[in-house]
Amino acid sequence: MIEYQNIFTRTQIHGPPDMGGGAAPEAAGVWPRGDNAYSSSLLGRIGDAQIGPFWLGGWGVAAIATGVAWFVIVGLNMLASVNWDVIEFIRQLFWLSLDPPAPKYGLSFPPMAEGGWFLVASTFLLISVICWWIRLYTRAVDLGMGTHIAWAFASAIWLFLVLGLIRPLLMGSWSEAVPYGIFSHLDWTAAFSIRYGNLFYNPFHMLSIVFLYGSALLFAMHGATILAVSRFGGEREIEQIVDRGTASERAALFWRWTMGFNATMESIHRWAWWFAVLVTLTGGIGILLTGTVVDNWYLWGVKHGIAPPYPDASTLGDPGMGGN
Amino acid sequence: MRYGLIALIPFGIVLAIFAILKFEHPPIDSTQLGFRGTGIVQVDNPRTEAALAKLNQPPESYGPTEPGGPLASEVYENVRVLGHLTEDEFLSYMASITEWVSPEQGCGYCHNEENLAEEGLYTKTVSRRMMQMTQTINADWGAHVGGAGVNCYTCHRGQNVPAYYFVEDDLQPEAGGFSASRNNQNFAADENVYSSLPYDALDKQLTQDDVLIRVQSDNALPYFGEDLVPIQDAETTYSLMMSMSQGLGVNCTYCHNTRAFSNWEQSHPARLVAWHGIEMAQHLNAEYLAPLASELPEHRLGPKGDAPKAKCATCHQGIPKPMYGADMVSDHPKALTQRAE
Amino acid sequence: MAMLDFEKKYRVRGGTLLGGDLFDFWVGPFYVGFFGVVGAFFTILGTVLIIYGAAIGPTWNLWQINIAPPDLSYGLALAPMAEGGLWQIITICAIGSFGCWALREVEISRKLGMGLHVPFAFSVAIFAYVSLVVIRPVLMGAWGHGFPYGIMSHLDWVSNVGYQYLHFHYNPAHMIAVSFFFTTSLALALHGALVLSATNPGKGKAVKTAEHENAFFRDAIGYSIGPLGIHRLGLFLALAAVFFSAVCIVISGPFWTAGWPEWWTWWLDLPVWGKGYELG
Repeated sequence: MIEYQNIFTRTQIHGPPDMGGGAAPEAAGVWPRGDNAYSSSLLGRIGDAQIGPFWLGGWGVAAIATGVAWFVIVGLNMLASVNWDVIEFIRQLFWLSLDPPAPKYGLSFPPMAEGGWFLVASTFLLISVICWWIRLYTRAVDLGMGTHIAWAFASAIWLFLVLGLIRPLLMGSWSEAVPYGIFSHLDWTAAFSIRYGNLFYNPFHMLSIVFLYGSALLFAMHGATILAVSRFGGEREIEQIVDRGTASERAALFWRWTMGFNATMESIHRWAWWFAVLVTLTGGIGILLTGTVVDNWYLWGVKHGIAPPYPDASTLGDPGMGGN
Repeated sequence: MRYGLIALIPFGIVLAIFAILKFEHPPIDSTQLGFRGTGIVQVDNPRTEAALAKLNQPPESYGPTEPGGPLASEVYENVRVLGHLTEDEFLSYMASITEWVSPEQGCGYCHNEENLAEEGLYTKTVSRRMMQMTQTINADWGAHVGGAGVNCYTCHRGQNVPAYYFVEDDLQPEAGGFSASRNNQNFAADENVYSSLPYDALDKQLTQDDVLIRVQSDNALPYFGEDLVPIQDAETTYSLMMSMSQGLGVNCTYCHNTRAFSNWEQSHPARLVAWHGIEMAQHLNAEYLAPLASELPEHRLGPKGDAPKAKCATCHQGIPKPMYGADMVSDHPKALTQRAE
Repeated sequence: MAMLDFEKKYRVRGGTLLGGDLFDFWVGPFYVGFFGVVGAFFTILGTVLIIYGAAIGPTWNLWQINIAPPDLSYGLALAPMAEGGLWQIITICAIGSFGCWALREVEISRKLGMGLHVPFAFSVAIFAYVSLVVIRPVLMGAWGHGFPYGIMSHLDWVSNVGYQYLHFHYNPAHMIAVSFFFTTSLALALHGALVLSATNPGKGKAVKTAEHENAFFRDAIGYSIGPLGIHRLGLFLALAAVFFSAVCIVISGPFWTAGWPEWWTWWLDLPVWGKGYELG
């Protein structure tokens, strides 16, 4: 039976590469689209075998240059923090971090060693992200396509801006920004939740997680459905959208019969787009409200009657306030 | 490219073996401390617990000394903090201390054996201060040590220096200059329980009286105009709490319902004992241990020249109650709980 | 119940795993089948028990309703109804209901001549649920280690179980799972947006083709995985997220009892670092 399930591509045809000319002859600019592409039969077992051609253009060059600047600043500062010892750098890599300035500096520019590099690196990262957004936007326009990808990316940028720029500005301190490091950003996340009385009680955090899990659910449902009707050409979604075929019909009926409701070949992609976009959109709102208008999410939950009572509450009082 | 990837496979396998060997395995023990289904549960490895049980046995008890007889201050010269003991009590206590702290070196570790009354050895000065500290703990900190109390063995366990203490770290050198500072964090240390959290939490929060370690607001909405309690403070407290947990061999839910860390009404009664423990450690470090820096020789000091100080693990050594709550004072009640007039 | 205009020709008999033609019919848009009947039994019983649990509990507040597992002292035995027994029966109902749902999906797939990717994907989710309420509790020796059924109470459980290991973010499988979740969301946004951008290029413009999609992604990142591959990738990412989530909770307790940061010392202590710097 497994023989008939679409898991890997078992027969590959490698023809001349598609250089994109038919769709977009105008990929020019600082770094014009290359004129060669490669082929990997390993990749071809899962997806398209063709790698390249590559194109950067002006905004791409700017985005990569500033992105590399961010990466190198973070990396060199980490390396400096182990006194340029490369072995220790590898050993301690997950622990290392480029931290934001100390709280005492507020919104001023601190000495380089005490957060200056963090602000410089952050500036580069911000420029990089914005250039990449422009690149995605202009590429879509030049190809005559909608700009849905750019706007989805904008939702992620929203969360990034809230964390690194908007919320620190509102709180009046760069120290509120997230450090650049593997473990250190996890420490920040945990401490942020502790400081503000349990992020699980933040309704926008709840929504963000619902959409995050919902994204996984949707992609599992959608990916599996399309693979299951791939024997009817279901993966040719654009064709199925403009001229519904049996693949679309079976996919729709599968869900209609299963749960009484179905999307269409086009609308499932709207569901997908919104679920994914709302992860960072609601997440950003949740972060933005934390500390600025809510100081303790658990107590906020108590105030609004959502905290469940447990029968064994102790009779302790605060010893610091004269209790016990 | 493909061969490069294949060459990485053996390295990956070796790494995976090291990673997997680090894990423990069932059966494990669990103890429920809160309402069912809240996850307020202690999870322990029974093999580790058995090993800890062997290490945490109280010293042999010889029973209390017969009362009566002359006071030590009348019989011996230069008895400053134990003068209120009878001679028998005094000698018995001295013998016990030798067993608890310097079983190998004997009396000579602190005394000139030609003239026991003589000052001169730093160890004698330090011991005297430690006796006063022990008296303070047993007399004033009943809220933390309860009826069990402490004696020298609680920390020393037959060693000259207790196994667990903290000093200001001088960890790996940084490049310095205008490269970013490590901010006393981002380094796996014993103090931050190998996380990336600050490793100076104990230095900041456990060396002075009345340091405020609270970071959560007692109000749902912010009080505008108040100073920012930064996330960095929460990280420092988090690090201290992890050190406490490790020192006691418990997890956060031993004291807290973590849905509301600061809330006392939902906390386990152990939190109150722990709260007094923090106060006690702050006081002992400030009053007794940190000032010893001027008495101790260099090899007993930390890399930055400060004296070794007490943290939770100093007494607890990995279990919730030192020596599982065994009585530590009844053999020497006067020496351990009463100060000389 | 009106059918979709193309639906009638697909409503054919056959494809059932159990029950032959007996339950091979539809109710409104829903296909029934043997597993629909059994699944409905579990679903209705479980739902009624949840409502009953709420009724004997202290509140009807939707956020606060809490149906908790038994005390750890019951071990792997059955508990009285009001003290966790309800949770145990509801758990059985849930597993029965989810299992029937997956098998009903198999029947529907067979009826429609589709692959079995959807029921396979759903069974990974069932596995994650079963690891939370069966596998881990059994490994730890008590049903009381399952999570409570309640909107806020399950979050409280997540919080406390996380802090049982001091800093849960250092759990390596949790790291992998979260990374997969975020990557799934990223890939879903890109896929949804790409299809929408090809089919909605703006008023008056012609709908674009898969070649345009390829050109966009090759220009953007040098590689376009293609219309078939993206669904394989998406399915893989989503299932990997769920699988590693299950792993991350099963190893917490049965295979690790200390703080998660401490687990990482195996890396710091690898015998390859030369002198290395002492820890603390």
